[in-house]
Amino acid sequence: MCRCCPGLNRRSLLAGGAAAAAALTTGRAEARILPKDMVPLIGPGFRPVDKDEQGIWQLMDRAEEEIAGSNLLITDPRLTLYLKEIIGRVGGPAAKDFRIYLAHIPDFNAMMFPTGFAVVFSGLLLRMRNEAQLAGVIAHESGHFLRRHQIRSWRDQRRKTDIFSIAAMAAGVGGAGAGVYLGDYVQLAQLGTLLSLFQYSREMEAEADAMGARLIAEAGYEPTEMSAIWQQLIGEETASARYRRKHRRRGSLFDTHPSEPARMADLKIDAEEVRQTGHTYEVGKERYLATIAGIRPTLLDDQVKLNDPGASQYLIETLAQDGWNGLLRYYEGEVWRLRNRRGDDVRAGQSYAAAVGYPDAPADAWRWHGISLMKAGRGAEAKSAFARYLTMKPDAADAAWVRQMIG
Amino acid sequence: MRKSGVALALALSLATSACVQTRQYADVQFTPPKGDYRLLVLRPDVSVGSLTTGGLVENRADWTEQARANIIAALRAQQAGRGGKVQILERRNQLAGASEQEVADFERLFYAVGESIVIHKYLGDYLPTKRRQGLDWTLGEDAVQLGRKSGYDYALFMHAEDQVASGGRIALGILGLAGCAVGFCAPNIGGATQLDYAGLVDLRTGEVVWFNVVRAGSEIPGIKFGDLRTPEGSAQMVERLLGRMKPGREVRRAQEAPKS
Repeated sequence: MCRCCPGLNRRSLLAGGAAAAAALTTGRAEARILPKDMVPLIGPGFRPVDKDEQGIWQLMDRAEEEIAGSNLLITDPRLTLYLKEIIGRVGGPAAKDFRIYLAHIPDFNAMMFPTGFAVVFSGLLLRMRNEAQLAGVIAHESGHFLRRHQIRSWRDQRRKTDIFSIAAMAAGVGGAGAGVYLGDYVQLAQLGTLLSLFQYSREMEAEADAMGARLIAEAGYEPTEMSAIWQQLIGEETASARYRRKHRRRGSLFDTHPSEPARMADLKIDAEEVRQTGHTYEVGKERYLATIAGIRPTLLDDQVKLNDPGASQYLIETLAQDGWNGLLRYYEGEVWRLRNRRGDDVRAGQSYAAAVGYPDAPADAWRWHGISLMKAGRGAEAKSAFARYLTMKPDAADAAWVRQMIG
Repeated sequence: MRKSGVALALALSLATSACVQTRQYADVQFTPPKGDYRLLVLRPDVSVGSLTTGGLVENRADWTEQARANIIAALRAQQAGRGGKVQILERRNQLAGASEQEVADFERLFYAVGESIVIHKYLGDYLPTKRRQGLDWTLGEDAVQLGRKSGYDYALFMHAEDQVASGGRIALGILGLAGCAVGFCAPNIGGATQLDYAGLVDLRTGEVVWFNVVRAGSEIPGIKFGDLRTPEGSAQMVERLLGRMKPGREVRRAQEAPKS
């Protein structure tokens, strides 16, 4: 650490401005972080000793108390135990110290807090295709903790804002003394400071990716699965944007994370670097699908109600690469029924009809299949679909109505 | 998160002069509790941090603990003079008759309602249908049930946050002040800031009957307003926040009526 305060002379500011401008045009120019350099910076049972870190831990302990008692959490013991086992496997030296919570939020996200507790959103479980992918995301989050990212970011932020404030004040007072106006440079320096904070954040994310690749490979998971996550997310966002007649958001200098294509590309190379010949790496697809089977209907239900048919359809089709079933076909129908544009009822009806052909079709698939048949004027078939619905769900809230439809 | 939202909004609305401001609202029928009442004080939500040179707030665990202990001691001393029976929760599991989760839910509900009070009573987003009606918010039946289970008449919530200007921040302020000599005058970069608020809930009706906010701040780093880390500073804060509880408008009118 030998970066001293940049003197506020014209040349350095211009150089800074030129560098910022160059970065704007060339995009991402940061060097790739190598998994082999990513050694954990802390051991088991870490406790903070510095005053600034203790202060953060105190705030975060309060945050954890709130999160642990939140009614947004999914507390299904099978799922929570599963997550705990995975973080215990990819958590490196801190594996036993981590806590992990599953929040009922239909978004692709997971986060690590500075004190070593992670929150995984339920939307992540919908998107992951196997245990190696889920482990990859959890390992990335563990990487933030093991590399002490939060305290390093805080110190970086504190140092840069300190330097900026002193420099800005010095420019004001010095400039006034010398009779020149330096306000424009101060603004440029402010932009520079801001950009540098975002750049630092992206660097931390790249570190966590590299560390994550290393952790999952060490735990025996297939490391290439991490880049597959990003490939799928890019596909989902592209589909969502195309549906809305927009373009997928591209990266900018104000992003906290590196762009998805950059992460995907780096993770591909990382995977090759961490893979060792003679080792076998598992993907864990069956175990993953069996564990989340119970919650999958909820995850799909949350997703189709987000009013993002482009993304929902993409996700359902992606999940169906592992084989169509009654559940996926039913929710495919729901995507179109809820969109409700011209012809969507027919499209939905086709999906419901396909859904009931599978043994695992949910009761609601029979209900909607019946309604579609009714609309199409096929009353007799509709009645038998309704009858099936009532046998599967005799206590349905709308049972009386359905019985009336059967007549 | 929500609490810090309230805190931030209030901090941003701090008037530009260096001063101490308090403004309280009460239910029109409110009479400050006196004599034989039972008051439950929920865990005071305290944070004390250092204001860095660049203007960020860095929480300090040791200062916060010290301030919390001082505030609780000051609260006890103040309430002792009022005749009521007081319990101050230091943890959520200390309330007999109610579970930790119930206390947590109650606290969250209060801070959600408190946020609404702050928005509509303090931040200028006044509700036209609530004009001149005092404080008209309630925590509902859950609060009444908590009161019944625990046997308390009132619940008091308290939030206090204090930012102590660091040496670097003070030096920066001095530099700004010195600049006045050469024509670049920036003495008001912002220094120590304190924000405290409290709300009183009547557990027999569930209504928030009284709410008060104290904001103290100095634009010139180095000027202090009562440091929560000291027993005197905490006592001063508790006195400012809770010392002069005024009755509601209708009660005041009724008291004034015979005189006129």
